[in-house]
Amino acid sequence: MLAPMEITVETLQRLARLGGFAWTDAELEAIRPGVLRLLEMLERLESVPLDAIEPTTQYRML
Amino acid sequence: MSDLVWLSMAELGRMVATKEVSPVEVARAHLDRIAALDARLRAFITVCAESALEAARAAEADLMAGKITGPLHGVPWAPKDLYSTKGIRTTGGSKILAESVPSKDATVVSRLSQAGAVVLGKLNMHEFAYGPEGLNAHYGDARNPWDGSAHRIAGGSSSGSGVAVAAGLAPGSLGSDTGGSIRIPASLCGITGLKPTYGRVSRAGVLPLSWSMDHVGPMARTARDCALILGAIAGYDPDDPTTSVLPVPDYAAALGGEVKGLRVGLLRAHFTDVATPEVRAAVEVAARRLEQAGAVVDEVNLTQIDHVAAASSAIVASEAVAYHAGWMRTRAQDYQPDVRERLRIGAFVSGAHYVRAQQVRALVRREVDEALAKRDVLLGPATPIAAPVLGERDATLGDGPSDVRSALIRLTRPINFSGHPACAAPCGVTASGLPIGLQIVGRPFDEATVLRVIDAYQRLTDWHTRRPAVA
Repeated sequence: MLAPMEITVETLQRLARLGGFAWTDAELEAIRPGVLRLLEMLERLESVPLDAIEPTTQYRML
Repeated sequence: MSDLVWLSMAELGRMVATKEVSPVEVARAHLDRIAALDARLRAFITVCAESALEAARAAEADLMAGKITGPLHGVPWAPKDLYSTKGIRTTGGSKILAESVPSKDATVVSRLSQAGAVVLGKLNMHEFAYGPEGLNAHYGDARNPWDGSAHRIAGGSSSGSGVAVAAGLAPGSLGSDTGGSIRIPASLCGITGLKPTYGRVSRAGVLPLSWSMDHVGPMARTARDCALILGAIAGYDPDDPTTSVLPVPDYAAALGGEVKGLRVGLLRAHFTDVATPEVRAAVEVAARRLEQAGAVVDEVNLTQIDHVAAASSAIVASEAVAYHAGWMRTRAQDYQPDVRERLRIGAFVSGAHYVRAQQVRALVRREVDEALAKRDVLLGPATPIAAPVLGERDATLGDGPSDVRSALIRLTRPINFSGHPACAAPCGVTASGLPIGLQIVGRPFDEATVLRVIDAYQRLTDWHTRRPAVA
Protein backbone atom coordinates (compact mmCIF):
# COMPACT_ATOMS: atom_id res chain seq x y z
CA MET A 1 0.00 0.00 0.00
CA LEU A 2 1.23 3.51 -0.76
CA ALA A 3 2.11 5.80 2.12
CA PRO A 4 -0.83 8.06 2.95
CA MET A 5 -0.61 11.34 1.06
CA GLU A 6 -1.09 14.70 2.66
CA ILE A 7 -4.49 16.14 1.85
CA THR A 8 -3.91 19.83 1.31
CA VAL A 9 -6.33 22.47 0.13
CA GLU A 10 -4.60 22.22 -3.26
CA THR A 11 -5.33 18.49 -3.39
CA LEU A 12 -8.96 19.15 -2.54
CA GLN A 13 -9.10 21.92 -5.11
CA ARG A 14 -7.95 19.54 -7.88
CA LEU A 15 -10.36 16.80 -6.82
CA ALA A 16 -13.26 19.24 -6.54
CA ARG A 17 -12.57 20.53 -10.04
CA LEU A 18 -12.50 16.96 -11.34
CA GLY A 19 -16.00 16.61 -9.91
CA GLY A 20 -17.06 19.84 -11.60
CA PHE A 21 -17.16 21.92 -8.41
CA ALA A 22 -15.57 25.36 -8.24
CA TRP A 23 -15.13 25.94 -4.51
CA THR A 24 -12.84 28.56 -3.01
CA ASP A 25 -9.77 27.74 -0.93
CA ALA A 26 -11.52 29.12 2.13
CA GLU A 27 -14.53 26.85 1.53
CA LEU A 28 -12.26 23.86 1.10
CA GLU A 29 -10.17 24.71 4.16
CA ALA A 30 -13.38 24.74 6.19
CA ILE A 31 -14.29 21.18 5.19
CA ARG A 32 -10.73 19.78 5.18
CA PRO A 33 -10.96 18.41 8.78
CA GLY A 34 -14.23 16.65 7.90
CA VAL A 35 -12.77 15.16 4.73
CA LEU A 36 -9.71 13.95 6.66
CA ARG A 37 -11.89 12.37 9.34
CA LEU A 38 -14.00 10.53 6.76
CA LEU A 39 -11.00 9.33 4.76
CA GLU A 40 -9.32 8.08 7.95
CA MET A 41 -12.46 6.16 8.85
CA LEU A 42 -12.63 4.69 5.35
CA GLU A 43 -8.98 3.72 5.48
CA ARG A 44 -9.73 1.58 8.53
CA LEU A 45 -12.15 -0.45 6.39
CA GLU A 46 -9.10 -1.66 4.44
CA SER A 47 -8.33 -4.01 7.33
CA VAL A 48 -11.76 -5.70 7.18
CA PRO A 49 -11.52 -9.04 5.34
CA LEU A 50 -13.92 -8.44 2.48
CA ASP A 51 -12.26 -10.13 -0.49
CA ALA A 52 -14.75 -12.98 -0.60
CA ILE A 53 -17.76 -10.72 -0.18
CA GLU A 54 -19.59 -9.37 -3.16
CA PRO A 55 -20.79 -5.79 -2.73
CA THR A 56 -24.48 -5.64 -2.15
CA THR A 57 -27.09 -3.19 -3.17
CA GLN A 58 -30.08 -2.65 -0.98
CA TYR A 59 -32.55 -4.41 -3.21
CA ARG A 60 -34.21 -7.56 -1.92
CA MET A 61 -36.24 -8.32 -5.01
CA LEU A 62 -39.04 -10.45 -3.65
CA MET B 1 -58.66 22.49 23.75
CA SER B 2 -60.59 19.61 22.23
CA ASP B 3 -59.89 16.08 23.47
CA LEU B 4 -60.24 14.94 19.86
CA VAL B 5 -56.59 15.82 19.29
CA TRP B 6 -55.48 13.14 21.77
CA LEU B 7 -57.45 10.31 20.20
CA SER B 8 -55.58 7.75 18.14
CA MET B 9 -56.12 7.45 14.40
CA ALA B 10 -57.85 4.11 15.04
CA GLU B 11 -60.27 5.72 17.53
CA LEU B 12 -60.91 8.72 15.27
CA GLY B 13 -61.57 6.40 12.33
CA ARG B 14 -64.02 4.36 14.37
CA MET B 15 -65.85 7.47 15.62
CA VAL B 16 -66.05 8.88 12.09
CA ALA B 17 -67.38 5.58 10.75
CA THR B 18 -70.06 5.40 13.43
CA LYS B 19 -70.88 9.10 12.92
CA GLU B 20 -70.05 9.95 16.54
CA VAL B 21 -67.88 12.73 15.19
CA SER B 22 -67.66 14.51 11.87
CA PRO B 23 -64.41 14.56 9.85
CA VAL B 24 -64.84 18.36 9.67
CA GLU B 25 -64.99 18.60 13.46
CA VAL B 26 -61.84 16.46 13.74
CA ALA B 27 -59.93 18.51 11.16
CA ARG B 28 -61.03 21.78 12.85
CA ALA B 29 -59.86 20.57 16.26
CA HIS B 30 -56.39 19.87 14.89
CA LEU B 31 -56.23 23.11 12.87
CA ASP B 32 -57.23 25.09 15.99
CA ARG B 33 -54.45 23.43 17.96
CA ILE B 34 -51.94 24.11 15.20
CA ALA B 35 -53.01 27.77 15.21
CA ALA B 36 -52.59 27.93 18.99
CA LEU B 37 -49.24 26.18 19.35
CA ASP B 38 -47.29 26.03 16.14
CA ALA B 39 -45.77 29.50 16.26
CA ARG B 40 -43.84 28.17 19.24
CA LEU B 41 -43.29 24.55 18.17
CA ARG B 42 -42.58 25.15 14.47
CA ALA B 43 -43.74 21.67 13.50
CA PHE B 44 -45.31 22.85 10.22
CA ILE B 45 -43.72 24.48 7.19
CA THR B 46 -47.09 24.83 5.44
CA VAL B 47 -50.55 24.56 7.02
CA CYS B 48 -53.31 23.63 4.54
CA ALA B 49 -56.37 24.71 6.49
CA GLU B 50 -58.60 25.36 3.50
CA SER B 51 -57.81 22.19 1.56
CA ALA B 52 -57.95 20.13 4.78
CA LEU B 53 -61.46 21.36 5.54
CA GLU B 54 -62.48 20.79 1.94
CA ALA B 55 -61.17 17.19 2.07
CA ALA B 56 -62.90 16.68 5.43
CA ARG B 57 -66.20 17.94 3.99
CA ALA B 58 -65.79 15.53 1.05
CA ALA B 59 -65.12 12.67 3.49
CA GLU B 60 -68.24 13.63 5.40
CA ALA B 61 -70.34 13.74 2.21
CA ASP B 62 -69.08 10.28 1.24
CA LEU B 63 -69.94 9.00 4.68
CA MET B 64 -73.45 10.40 4.46
CA ALA B 65 -73.81 8.73 1.05
CA GLY B 66 -72.84 5.41 2.64
CA LYS B 67 -69.36 5.35 1.10
CA ILE B 68 -66.59 4.63 3.58
CA THR B 69 -63.10 3.90 2.37
CA GLY B 70 -61.72 2.15 5.46
CA PRO B 71 -60.34 2.78 8.95
CA LEU B 72 -58.63 6.05 8.01
CA HIS B 73 -61.70 7.62 6.39
CA GLY B 74 -61.86 11.27 7.47
CA VAL B 75 -58.80 10.96 9.73
CA PRO B 76 -56.24 13.80 9.54
CA TRP B 77 -52.51 13.38 9.10
CA ALA B 78 -49.52 15.40 7.87
CA PRO B 79 -46.50 14.36 5.79
CA LYS B 80 -42.91 15.50 6.22
CA ASP B 81 -42.29 18.21 3.65
CA LEU B 82 -40.35 15.98 1.26
CA TYR B 83 -43.40 14.09 0.01
CA SER B 84 -44.74 15.50 -3.25
CA THR B 85 -48.24 16.87 -2.76
CA LYS B 86 -50.19 17.95 -5.81
CA GLY B 87 -50.83 21.69 -5.68
CA ILE B 88 -49.14 22.12 -2.28
CA ARG B 89 -45.55 23.33 -2.15
CA THR B 90 -42.97 20.69 -1.26
CA THR B 91 -39.85 22.39 0.04
CA GLY B 92 -37.70 19.57 1.40
CA GLY B 93 -37.10 22.09 4.18
CA SER B 94 -35.01 24.10 1.74
CA LYS B 95 -34.81 27.58 0.31
CA ILE B 96 -33.98 26.04 -3.06
CA LEU B 97 -37.41 24.38 -3.35
CA ALA B 98 -39.31 27.03 -1.40
CA GLU B 99 -41.69 27.68 -4.29
CA SER B 100 -41.76 24.17 -5.77
CA VAL B 101 -45.33 22.96 -6.29
CA PRO B 102 -45.60 19.36 -7.57
CA SER B 103 -48.15 18.42 -10.19
CA LYS B 104 -48.59 14.94 -8.73
CA ASP B 105 -48.81 13.31 -5.31
CA ALA B 106 -46.15 10.91 -4.10
CA THR B 107 -47.47 7.34 -4.34
CA VAL B 108 -47.89 7.02 -0.58
CA VAL B 109 -49.71 10.37 -0.29
CA SER B 110 -52.04 9.27 -3.05
CA ARG B 111 -52.65 5.93 -1.29
CA LEU B 112 -53.52 7.65 1.99
CA SER B 113 -55.88 10.02 0.17
CA GLN B 114 -57.55 7.03 -1.46
CA ALA B 115 -57.91 5.60 2.06
CA GLY B 116 -59.85 8.76 2.98
CA ALA B 117 -57.18 10.44 5.13
CA VAL B 118 -57.04 14.25 5.24
CA VAL B 119 -53.77 16.23 4.84
CA LEU B 120 -53.45 19.02 7.43
CA GLY B 121 -50.21 20.47 6.10
CA LYS B 122 -46.53 19.79 5.48
CA LEU B 123 -44.09 19.20 8.31
CA ASN B 124 -40.73 20.68 9.21
CA MET B 125 -37.52 18.74 8.77
CA HIS B 126 -33.75 19.04 8.66
CA GLU B 127 -32.97 20.62 5.29
CA PHE B 128 -33.14 17.94 2.58
CA ALA B 129 -33.29 15.33 5.40
CA TYR B 130 -29.53 15.58 5.86
CA GLY B 131 -29.15 15.79 9.64
CA PRO B 132 -30.34 13.90 12.75
CA GLU B 133 -30.96 16.98 14.88
CA GLY B 134 -33.98 18.18 12.89
CA LEU B 135 -32.69 21.74 12.52
CA ASN B 136 -33.82 24.16 9.87
CA ALA B 137 -32.28 27.56 9.17
CA HIS B 138 -34.99 28.55 6.67
CA TYR B 139 -38.23 27.71 8.48
CA GLY B 140 -37.04 27.68 12.10
CA ASP B 141 -35.99 24.82 14.35
CA ALA B 142 -38.79 22.53 15.47
CA ARG B 143 -38.99 22.51 19.24
CA ASN B 144 -39.29 19.37 21.35
CA PRO B 145 -42.59 19.71 23.25
CA TRP B 146 -41.34 17.79 26.30
CA ASP B 147 -39.46 20.73 27.79
CA GLY B 148 -41.48 23.86 28.47
CA SER B 149 -38.45 25.97 29.41
CA ALA B 150 -35.31 24.93 27.50
CA HIS B 151 -35.33 24.62 23.71
CA ARG B 152 -34.51 20.96 23.14
CA ILE B 153 -34.14 19.44 19.71
CA ALA B 154 -36.87 17.19 18.38
CA GLY B 155 -34.46 14.89 16.54
CA GLY B 156 -34.45 14.47 12.84
CA SER B 157 -34.57 14.63 10.18
CA SER B 158 -38.37 14.20 10.54
CA SER B 159 -38.47 16.74 13.39
CA GLY B 160 -41.82 18.29 12.51
CA SER B 161 -43.40 14.84 12.38
CA GLY B 162 -42.09 14.02 15.86
CA VAL B 163 -43.31 17.31 17.32
CA ALA B 164 -46.69 17.39 15.58
CA VAL B 165 -47.64 13.87 16.66
CA ALA B 166 -46.29 14.26 20.22
CA ALA B 167 -48.01 17.61 20.78
CA GLY B 168 -51.39 16.61 19.37
CA LEU B 169 -51.15 18.75 16.23
CA ALA B 170 -51.61 15.69 14.01
CA PRO B 171 -52.42 12.11 15.04
CA GLY B 172 -50.11 10.59 12.43
CA SER B 173 -47.43 11.39 9.91
CA LEU B 174 -45.13 9.94 7.32
CA GLY B 175 -41.44 10.46 7.97
CA SER B 176 -38.45 9.23 6.05
CA ASP B 177 -35.48 7.38 7.51
CA THR B 178 -31.98 7.30 5.98
CA GLY B 179 -29.92 6.99 9.17
CA GLY B 180 -32.70 7.01 11.75
CA SER B 181 -34.84 9.98 10.73
CA ILE B 182 -38.11 8.31 11.73
CA ARG B 183 -36.84 6.51 14.84
CA ILE B 184 -34.70 9.35 16.26
CA PRO B 185 -37.54 11.92 16.51
CA ALA B 186 -39.87 9.14 17.65
CA SER B 187 -37.44 8.38 20.48
CA LEU B 188 -36.79 12.01 21.42
CA CYS B 189 -40.46 13.05 21.20
CA GLY B 190 -41.98 9.97 22.87
CA ILE B 191 -43.96 8.58 19.93
CA THR B 192 -43.97 5.42 17.81
CA GLY B 193 -42.19 5.36 14.45
CA LEU B 194 -41.66 2.48 12.04
CA LYS B 195 -38.98 2.17 9.40
CA PRO B 196 -40.25 -0.67 7.21
CA THR B 197 -38.05 -3.09 5.28
CA TYR B 198 -36.32 -1.51 2.29
CA GLY B 199 -38.65 -2.22 -0.63
CA ARG B 200 -41.84 -2.55 1.42
CA VAL B 201 -43.03 1.03 0.78
CA SER B 202 -42.71 3.10 -2.39
CA ARG B 203 -40.31 6.05 -2.44
CA ALA B 204 -41.78 7.42 -5.69
CA GLY B 205 -42.39 11.15 -5.35
CA VAL B 206 -40.30 11.43 -2.19
CA LEU B 207 -37.23 13.71 -2.36
CA PRO B 208 -34.22 11.44 -2.01
CA LEU B 209 -31.28 11.84 0.32
CA SER B 210 -29.62 8.48 -0.38
CA TRP B 211 -31.49 6.17 -2.74
CA SER B 212 -30.19 2.93 -1.26
CA MET B 213 -30.62 3.98 2.38
CA ASP B 214 -33.91 5.94 2.30
CA HIS B 215 -36.99 4.32 3.84
CA VAL B 216 -40.52 5.71 4.05
CA GLY B 217 -42.67 4.95 7.08
CA PRO B 218 -45.37 5.93 9.57
CA MET B 219 -45.08 7.95 12.77
CA ALA B 220 -47.98 7.98 15.23
CA ARG B 221 -48.70 7.59 18.93
CA THR B 222 -49.37 3.84 18.86
CA ALA B 223 -48.25 0.69 17.07
CA ARG B 224 -51.86 0.19 15.96
CA ASP B 225 -51.91 3.54 14.16
CA CYS B 226 -48.58 2.74 12.50
CA ALA B 227 -50.12 -0.56 11.37
CA LEU B 228 -53.12 1.25 9.86
CA ILE B 229 -50.91 3.69 7.95
CA LEU B 230 -48.52 0.96 6.80
CA GLY B 231 -51.45 -1.13 5.57
CA ALA B 232 -52.57 1.78 3.41
CA ILE B 233 -49.18 2.65 1.90
CA ALA B 234 -47.25 -0.65 1.59
CA GLY B 235 -46.94 -2.72 -1.56
CA TYR B 236 -45.55 -2.82 -5.06
CA ASP B 237 -45.44 0.40 -7.04
CA PRO B 238 -44.45 0.42 -10.72
CA ASP B 239 -43.07 3.94 -10.15
CA ASP B 240 -40.50 2.58 -7.67
CA PRO B 241 -38.67 -0.45 -9.11
CA THR B 242 -37.20 -1.29 -5.70
CA THR B 243 -40.60 -2.09 -4.22
CA SER B 244 -41.38 -5.72 -3.49
CA VAL B 245 -44.19 -7.71 -5.08
CA LEU B 246 -44.76 -9.61 -1.82
CA PRO B 247 -48.40 -9.39 -0.73
CA VAL B 248 -49.21 -6.85 1.99
CA PRO B 249 -50.56 -8.49 5.14
CA ASP B 250 -53.32 -6.97 7.26
CA TYR B 251 -50.98 -5.39 9.81
CA ALA B 252 -53.75 -4.16 12.11
CA ALA B 253 -55.38 -7.60 12.20
CA ALA B 254 -52.04 -9.12 13.26
CA LEU B 255 -52.04 -7.02 16.47
CA GLY B 256 -53.55 -7.92 19.79
CA GLY B 257 -51.73 -11.18 20.34
CA GLU B 258 -49.46 -12.18 23.18
CA VAL B 259 -45.66 -12.30 23.15
CA LYS B 260 -45.57 -15.65 24.94
CA GLY B 261 -42.86 -17.82 23.40
CA LEU B 262 -41.57 -15.02 21.18
CA ARG B 263 -37.76 -15.03 21.00
CA VAL B 264 -36.29 -11.59 21.71
CA GLY B 265 -32.57 -10.84 21.44
CA LEU B 266 -31.41 -7.96 23.63
CA LEU B 267 -28.74 -6.13 21.62
CA ARG B 268 -25.86 -5.67 24.06
CA ALA B 269 -22.50 -4.60 22.60
CA HIS B 270 -22.66 -1.48 20.41
CA PHE B 271 -26.32 -0.91 21.38
CA THR B 272 -27.66 -1.14 24.95
CA ASP B 273 -24.16 -1.01 26.44
CA VAL B 274 -23.30 2.32 24.82
CA ALA B 275 -26.44 4.10 26.04
CA THR B 276 -26.47 6.47 29.01
CA PRO B 277 -27.31 4.74 32.32
CA GLU B 278 -30.92 6.02 32.30
CA VAL B 279 -31.56 4.79 28.75
CA ARG B 280 -29.83 1.47 29.39
CA ALA B 281 -31.88 0.87 32.55
CA ALA B 282 -35.18 1.70 30.79
CA VAL B 283 -34.44 -0.69 27.91
CA GLU B 284 -33.43 -3.46 30.30
CA VAL B 285 -36.68 -2.98 32.23
CA ALA B 286 -38.59 -3.18 28.92
CA ALA B 287 -36.83 -6.46 28.10
CA ARG B 288 -37.78 -7.82 31.52
CA ARG B 289 -41.38 -6.68 31.02
CA LEU B 290 -41.57 -8.68 27.78
CA GLU B 291 -39.94 -11.62 29.55
CA GLN B 292 -42.54 -11.47 32.32
CA ALA B 293 -45.18 -11.57 29.60
CA GLY B 294 -43.74 -14.83 28.30
CA ALA B 295 -41.13 -13.78 25.74
CA VAL B 296 -37.86 -15.70 25.75
CA VAL B 297 -35.11 -13.08 26.05
CA ASP B 298 -31.42 -13.69 25.43
CA GLU B 299 -28.50 -11.41 24.66
CA VAL B 300 -26.96 -10.71 21.23
CA ASN B 301 -23.68 -9.09 20.27
CA LEU B 302 -23.32 -7.87 16.70
CA THR B 303 -19.60 -7.57 16.08
CA GLN B 304 -19.57 -6.01 12.60
CA ILE B 305 -21.44 -2.89 13.72
CA ASP B 306 -18.07 -1.20 14.34
CA HIS B 307 -17.68 -0.67 10.59
CA VAL B 308 -21.12 0.83 9.98
CA ALA B 309 -20.29 4.48 10.68
CA ALA B 310 -17.55 4.64 8.05
CA ALA B 311 -19.29 2.54 5.43
CA SER B 312 -22.71 4.14 5.70
CA SER B 313 -21.16 7.62 5.68
CA ALA B 314 -19.43 6.75 2.39
CA ILE B 315 -22.70 5.57 0.84
CA VAL B 316 -24.93 8.40 2.06
CA ALA B 317 -22.35 11.11 1.31
CA SER B 318 -21.77 9.81 -2.24
CA GLU B 319 -25.43 9.35 -3.10
CA ALA B 320 -26.40 12.70 -1.55
CA VAL B 321 -23.79 14.71 -3.45
CA ALA B 322 -24.74 12.90 -6.65
CA TYR B 323 -28.37 14.04 -6.24
CA HIS B 324 -27.41 17.58 -5.21
CA ALA B 325 -24.49 18.10 -7.62
CA GLY B 326 -26.38 20.50 -9.90
CA TRP B 327 -27.53 22.79 -7.09
CA MET B 328 -24.14 22.51 -5.35
CA ARG B 329 -22.60 23.99 -8.49
CA THR B 330 -25.08 26.82 -8.90
CA ARG B 331 -26.81 27.47 -5.56
CA ALA B 332 -24.43 26.28 -2.84
CA GLN B 333 -25.03 29.50 -0.87
CA ASP B 334 -28.72 28.61 -0.53
CA TYR B 335 -28.08 25.51 1.62
CA GLN B 336 -27.91 25.84 5.40
CA PRO B 337 -24.24 25.63 6.49
CA ASP B 338 -24.16 22.14 8.05
CA VAL B 339 -25.90 20.54 5.06
CA ARG B 340 -23.69 22.36 2.57
CA GLU B 341 -20.61 21.12 4.45
CA ARG B 342 -21.80 17.49 4.49
CA LEU B 343 -22.59 17.62 0.78
CA ARG B 344 -19.16 19.05 -0.03
CA ILE B 345 -17.40 16.33 1.95
CA GLY B 346 -19.26 13.71 -0.11
CA ALA B 347 -17.49 14.90 -3.23
CA PHE B 348 -14.25 13.36 -1.94
CA VAL B 349 -15.45 9.78 -1.51
CA SER B 350 -14.06 7.60 -4.30
CA GLY B 351 -15.79 4.90 -6.28
CA ALA B 352 -13.56 2.31 -4.60
CA HIS B 353 -14.64 3.58 -1.16
CA TYR B 354 -18.28 3.31 -2.22
CA VAL B 355 -17.93 -0.28 -3.39
CA ARG B 356 -15.99 -1.29 -0.28
CA ALA B 357 -18.80 0.21 1.79
CA GLN B 358 -21.27 -1.95 -0.12
CA GLN B 359 -19.17 -5.01 0.75
CA VAL B 360 -19.34 -4.03 4.42
CA ARG B 361 -23.07 -3.70 3.98
CA ALA B 362 -23.30 -7.32 2.84
CA LEU B 363 -21.32 -8.36 5.91
CA VAL B 364 -23.54 -6.43 8.33
CA ARG B 365 -26.76 -7.57 6.69
CA ARG B 366 -25.63 -11.17 6.93
CA GLU B 367 -24.84 -10.77 10.62
CA VAL B 368 -28.25 -9.24 11.40
CA ASP B 369 -29.93 -12.00 9.34
CA GLU B 370 -28.04 -14.63 11.36
CA ALA B 371 -29.06 -13.06 14.67
CA LEU B 372 -32.67 -13.11 13.50
CA ALA B 373 -32.49 -16.69 12.26
CA LYS B 374 -32.61 -17.80 15.90
CA ARG B 375 -34.90 -15.05 17.16
CA ASP B 376 -38.12 -13.30 16.12
CA VAL B 377 -36.96 -9.77 16.95
CA LEU B 378 -34.02 -7.87 18.37
CA LEU B 379 -34.41 -5.20 21.07
CA GLY B 380 -32.22 -2.23 21.96
CA PRO B 381 -32.40 1.50 22.54
CA ALA B 382 -33.44 3.70 19.60
CA THR B 383 -31.14 6.49 20.70
CA PRO B 384 -28.45 6.27 23.39
CA ILE B 385 -29.43 9.69 24.78
CA ALA B 386 -32.62 11.66 25.41
CA ALA B 387 -33.31 15.00 23.69
CA PRO B 388 -30.33 17.39 23.98
CA VAL B 389 -30.70 21.13 24.44
CA LEU B 390 -30.38 23.06 21.17
CA GLY B 391 -26.69 23.81 20.58
CA GLU B 392 -25.42 21.06 22.91
CA ARG B 393 -22.49 19.48 21.10
CA ASP B 394 -21.15 16.75 23.36
CA ALA B 395 -22.62 13.65 24.97
CA THR B 396 -21.17 11.02 27.27
CA LEU B 397 -22.08 7.51 26.25
CA GLY B 398 -21.47 4.16 27.89
CA ASP B 399 -18.19 3.80 26.00
CA GLY B 400 -16.95 7.37 26.26
CA PRO B 401 -17.48 10.85 24.86
CA SER B 402 -19.23 11.46 21.57
CA ASP B 403 -20.48 14.40 19.58
CA VAL B 404 -24.27 14.69 19.74
CA ARG B 405 -24.81 14.11 16.02
CA SER B 406 -22.90 10.81 16.01
CA ALA B 407 -24.64 9.72 19.20
CA LEU B 408 -28.10 10.35 17.74
CA ILE B 409 -27.60 8.14 14.67
CA ARG B 410 -25.37 5.51 16.21
CA LEU B 411 -28.03 2.91 17.05
CA THR B 412 -30.44 3.50 14.17
CA ARG B 413 -28.05 3.77 11.20
CA PRO B 414 -26.95 0.11 11.27
CA ILE B 415 -30.52 -0.90 10.48
CA ASN B 416 -30.77 1.43 7.49
CA PHE B 417 -27.56 -0.15 6.36
CA SER B 418 -28.98 -3.66 6.68
CA GLY B 419 -32.48 -2.73 5.45
CA HIS B 420 -34.37 -4.66 8.18
CA PRO B 421 -37.64 -3.27 9.59
CA ALA B 422 -37.33 -1.42 12.91
CA CYS B 423 -39.76 0.41 15.14
CA ALA B 424 -39.05 2.94 17.90
CA ALA B 425 -41.46 3.46 20.78
CA PRO B 426 -41.36 5.12 24.20
CA CYS B 427 -40.19 2.95 27.13
CA GLY B 428 -39.55 5.41 29.94
CA VAL B 429 -38.57 8.92 30.93
CA THR B 430 -35.35 10.41 32.27
CA ALA B 431 -35.10 12.07 35.69
CA SER B 432 -35.83 15.36 33.93
CA GLY B 433 -38.95 13.96 32.31
CA LEU B 434 -37.68 13.43 28.77
CA PRO B 435 -38.83 10.39 26.75
CA ILE B 436 -36.61 7.34 26.28
CA GLY B 437 -37.14 5.20 23.20
CA LEU B 438 -36.58 1.51 22.55
CA GLN B 439 -36.14 -0.07 19.14
CA ILE B 440 -37.45 -3.43 17.89
CA VAL B 441 -35.76 -4.89 14.79
CA GLY B 442 -37.41 -7.65 12.79
CA ARG B 443 -36.81 -10.01 9.89
CA PRO B 444 -37.09 -8.61 6.37
CA PHE B 445 -40.73 -7.97 5.44
CA ASP B 446 -41.91 -9.08 8.89
CA GLU B 447 -43.22 -5.69 10.01
CA ALA B 448 -46.25 -7.54 11.40
CA THR B 449 -44.18 -9.17 14.16
CA VAL B 450 -42.32 -5.92 14.92
CA LEU B 451 -45.62 -4.08 15.32
CA ARG B 452 -47.13 -6.98 17.29
CA VAL B 453 -44.32 -6.75 19.86
CA ILE B 454 -44.65 -2.96 20.20
CA ASP B 455 -48.44 -3.26 20.44
CA ALA B 456 -48.13 -5.92 23.14
CA TYR B 457 -45.64 -3.72 25.01
CA GLN B 458 -48.04 -0.76 24.74
CA ARG B 459 -50.82 -2.86 26.23
CA LEU B 460 -48.51 -3.76 29.14
CA THR B 461 -47.27 -0.20 29.79
CA ASP B 462 -48.51 3.37 29.52
CA TRP B 463 -45.42 5.27 28.30
CA HIS B 464 -47.06 5.93 24.93
CA THR B 465 -50.04 7.63 26.60
CA ARG B 466 -48.01 10.33 28.38
CA ARG B 467 -48.37 13.87 27.14
CA PRO B 468 -45.60 16.44 26.79
CA ALA B 469 -45.14 19.65 28.79
CA VAL B 470 -46.59 22.00 26.19
CA ALA B 471 -49.78 19.95 26.05
